[in-house]
Amino acid sequence: MRNAAELIKENNQKRELLNVENEKIYTDVLLYIRTDLRVDEHAAEELLMDLLDHLIEAQENGKDAQDLFGDSLKSYADELIANMPTENKRNIILLFSTGILGLVGWFALSYGILNGVITIFTPVDNKFALGSVSLILLTLLVVGVFGILFIFRMIRSSVFKPKYQEWKLYVQSALYAMVAFAFVLGVGFFFDGIGPVVQVQWWVLLMIGLTLLGLSKGLSRQTLNQ
Amino acid sequence: MALRSQLLKGVLDACVMAVVEEQPVYGYELSQKLQKIGLPDISDGTIYPVLLRLQKNGFIQGEMRPSATGPNRKYYFLTDKGKGELEQISSEWLQIAQPVSQLLKRSEKDEKRSRTN
Repeated sequence: MRNAAELIKENNQKRELLNVENEKIYTDVLLYIRTDLRVDEHAAEELLMDLLDHLIEAQENGKDAQDLFGDSLKSYADELIANMPTENKRNIILLFSTGILGLVGWFALSYGILNGVITIFTPVDNKFALGSVSLILLTLLVVGVFGILFIFRMIRSSVFKPKYQEWKLYVQSALYAMVAFAFVLGVGFFFDGIGPVVQVQWWVLLMIGLTLLGLSKGLSRQTLNQ
Repeated sequence: MALRSQLLKGVLDACVMAVVEEQPVYGYELSQKLQKIGLPDISDGTIYPVLLRLQKNGFIQGEMRPSATGPNRKYYFLTDKGKGELEQISSEWLQIAQPVSQLLKRSEKDEKRSRTN
C-alpha cells in the first residue's frame, strides 16, 4: 500500500494533466481537505487521488470539475469530510511529538554548530539558564502551533472564491512571522537568567540535537495507516 | 442532486453496493454505470461521499489494482458485512417500493385534478 507521502508526490505529478480551470477547482478542494486536521491523512490522500483520477478521466471525455463536484464546492467538500474517518489519537500524539522533538533538535543542533564555529575564533561562555531555555522553547512551540493554525485558517477561508488573493496570504504570514519572532526574542530578553545555570559544550549540544532529530525521524515512521 | 434526505442516502447506498457486488469497480466506472442504469440527475461526485460512508461502515473495501486502461486505480469490493446489508436493504425496499410508488402516483393525480378544478 502506498503511504501518504507517496500519494502526495503522485498527486503533484498527476495534477499537471488538468487544464487551468479544473486545476484551480481541484486544488481548492484539495487545500480545504488537507487543512482539516480532523481527517485521517492517509484516507484523505486516497480520496484525493480517486477524485483526481476521476477528474482526469472526465476531462478526457469533455466534462469538467463542476460536473464532478457539483455547484456548491464548499458543501460538497464538507460532505466528503463528514464521511471520512477521523485521524486516530495515536497519530495526532505522534505528529505533535515529532514536531516538538524536531523543533528542539534543530534548535540545539544549530546552536551547537554556531557555538562551535565561534569557538574557533574566540572562547565562548556556554552557560544556559535552564528555566529561561525551557521558557523560550515553550514560547517557540506555542507560537509555532498558533502559526500553523492561523495559516490553515486563512487558506480555508480563501479557497472556493473566484479570485485567489495569494499576496494577502503571504503578507499575513510574513506579518505573523515577524510578530512571533519579536515575541520569542522578547521572552528571551525579559526572562533571562531564570533557573539553575549549566555549562554545555558546543559538541554536546550538537550531539543532543542530532539525537533528538533522529528520535523525531524514527517516531514519524511509526504513523499508522488505517 | 444534493442528497440531503436520509431516504435518498439509503437508496443510493444500496445502488452503489449492488453495482459493486456485480463486479469490483473504481470511482469513474461506478458513476458511468449508475448513469447507464438510468439514475440521471446524479452528479459524478455524488458517489464519493457514499463510497466513504460505505467504507467507514465496513460494507465495501478498496484495493489498488491495475485498470483496463493501464494506471492503477482503487477498486471497490463488497465485503461479507456489505453483502448482508445489501440483502437486508433489498428486501426492505422490495416490500415498500410498489405500494409507495402507487400511493405517490395517486397523490400526484389528485394534485393535478385539484389544480384543474
